Amino acid sequence: MPDLRGSHGDQPDHILTRWFGTPDLHRLDVYSGKPGGYAALRKALLDMAPAEITNEVKASGLRGRGGAGFATGTKWSFINRDAPGPKYVVVNADESEPGTSKDRYLLENSPHMLVEGILIAAYAVGANQAWVYIRGEYDEPHRMLHEAIEEARAKGYVGPKPFGKDYPLDIRLYRGHGAYICGEETALLESLEGKRAQPRSRPPFPAVKGAWGRPTLLNNVETLSTVPWIINNGGAAYAKLGTEKSPGTRLMSVSGNVLKPGVYEVELGQTFRHVIMELAGGPPEGRKVKVFWPGGSSAPVLPESMLDTHTDMEALAAAKSMGGSGGVIVMDDQHCIVRAAHRLLRFYAHESCGKCTPCRIGGDWAVRTYERILANEGSQVELDTLQRVSDGLQNGRCLCGLGDSAGWVIDSTLRHFREEYVDHALRHECKVEAPQEAASA
Amino acid sequence: MKSPDKTALSAHVLDEIKELPAKYPQPRSAVMPALDLAQEELGHLTPAAMSEVAAALQLDPGYVEGVATFYSLFHLEPVGKHRFYVCTNLSCALRGANEIVDHVKKAIGVGRSDQVSADGLFSFEEVECLGACEFAPMMRLDHRYHYDLTSEAIDTLIAERRGVLHTRGEVAAKAAKAPEGPVKKPRAPRKKKADA
Ligand SMILES: Cc1cc2nc3c(=O)[nH]c(=O)nc-3n(C[C@H](O)[C@H](O)[C@H](O)COP(=O)(O)O)c2cc1C
Ligand code: SF4
Ligand code: FES
Repeated sequence: MPDLRGSHGDQPDHILTRWFGTPDLHRLDVYSGKPGGYAALRKALLDMAPAEITNEVKASGLRGRGGAGFATGTKWSFINRDAPGPKYVVVNADESEPGTSKDRYLLENSPHMLVEGILIAAYAVGANQAWVYIRGEYDEPHRMLHEAIEEARAKGYVGPKPFGKDYPLDIRLYRGHGAYICGEETALLESLEGKRAQPRSRPPFPAVKGAWGRPTLLNNVETLSTVPWIINNGGAAYAKLGTEKSPGTRLMSVSGNVLKPGVYEVELGQTFRHVIMELAGGPPEGRKVKVFWPGGSSAPVLPESMLDTHTDMEALAAAKSMGGSGGVIVMDDQHCIVRAAHRLLRFYAHESCGKCTPCRIGGDWAVRTYERILANEGSQVELDTLQRVSDGLQNGRCLCGLGDSAGWVIDSTLRHFREEYVDHALRHECKVEAPQEAASA
Repeated sequence: MKSPDKTALSAHVLDEIKELPAKYPQPRSAVMPALDLAQEELGHLTPAAMSEVAAALQLDPGYVEGVATFYSLFHLEPVGKHRFYVCTNLSCALRGANEIVDHVKKAIGVGRSDQVSADGLFSFEEVECLGACEFAPMMRLDHRYHYDLTSEAIDTLIAERRGVLHTRGEVAAKAAKAPEGPVKKPRAPRKKKADA
């Protein structure tokens, strides 16, 4: 049994985690028992036309859980099922967004749910082969997914005639090797093709020219894990949950200064107060939430005063942030925002693939500026530099979202915590944390 | 067991590498799985090993090296037999990851990620988010995740690994080969930057 910190147990309003905690749920016989596993694949292959499957996913309103929130059914319909030649499904299991652990939670608890979702997606878009790109550090999830695929192969669900249907389906695994940028879909494809993972310019989009130059559907682990439920229960049932534009539930991995960090399944539209203070137990005794990142480190921060922001994508956009990867990082009032921003900028600078100038140069420049500020060598010049670098990183000046994300960290922390930056840069003091020996490198 | 001083790949590994390209829609995808096999055998990727991988896959050696240098899980310098990959990204840092790193450094007696402990057993590296933030602070060691780290837990993991090796009599063998001090040459940063 994997360690479980988060939603589990039979909760009828949970879609993804309802059966988590069932002993041996990762085994095919258990998954096909009470949880009803592989009924959706059977239904899709035997009772539904491919276009009907895609329409059901469209009707559900499901939006991608990898970060961008693109409508899943619409993405599926971009692939010309009748085009001759191979097509692929590529599964993004590279999960590396700081603060995000929900795909690992799915892979370790219910790998068959993903396998089933992949097979349904492949049939719907006319692919016979799927590739799961899984981050190299995920040894245990890789092992569990591999075993699940082999069990499904032994049953014939992966193979030349799943459920007797003359439609060959195959799933292969490909391991990443430690580079955040591989989560970006076109960088992932480059990596899968055996290259340095530098994003491609679009168009062409992967739906037209993706893996190995062929039409490719690329979806996140959680997105595809949701598909079996939608096929079993209908898109309309899914659309009833959540909000009108952000239907359904999503997994939120809550981490940082909370008493019960964990991966929680949340109906979209709930507030962050509910997620952070109730589900995750709030900060330790005597401390207060200071700030949270609502959708992974790339989502602009929200201060404590915005805890009542709703979790749906529209509410987050209105709050000038985003749902991103569903990773909620909570920081309490004992921690310094300038140090936190510095740590994240080190991350973005380190992970920049180096292809665009603002991202390659800007990240390092921001890190050096933060270092001067934290060493009490700051002045107005440093504050202005941060703002300038942040502007240069944002607004489509970079080829992929990594540059924007780095800019948003600077911009949103400056916007909400200017006083703390001013304390550091101009007054050379931190009112929050005791000084540490040099900003650790 | 291979001798750690070996610099080129053995015949059976090269045979395995030559079989990889057929498993992918295009042969080039085999480069990383091939480098994995090479690194598994040698512990890190030597220039000779990368050339042999390139030859086995009919690729340019410069190309293979370009791929190897891009990804942080490929090591181009020797690493300890057990490498601590300690996450210090934000969620872990908020729960004491920096103190864990300090403790690891002290316990294995090295100061930087490019150094190896005197007995050749241990090295460490600060890494970015490993996707298990609800268990912070955490790390990866010997292909496993270790959660809710404390100094005591680190000490136990180190003692276990020293103990196991004692029983196999490998410590003596290693010690005989280990160079004087732990400190190795610092190496140039090896990642990213635009292709000139
Ligand atoms: C820098 C960067 C990193 C990303 N990392 C991931 C990731 O780790 N996992 C993921 O599923 N999507 C990630 N994405 C989003 C993908 O590019 C893509 O939108 C997503 O995988 C599509 O699947 P979905 O439609 O099911 O969400 C990242 C995007 C960017 C710009
Ligand atoms: S924004 Fe950064 S990571 Fe993205 S392509 Fe440009 S240089 Fe690479
Ligand atoms: S921040 Fe350490 S595992 Fe995510």
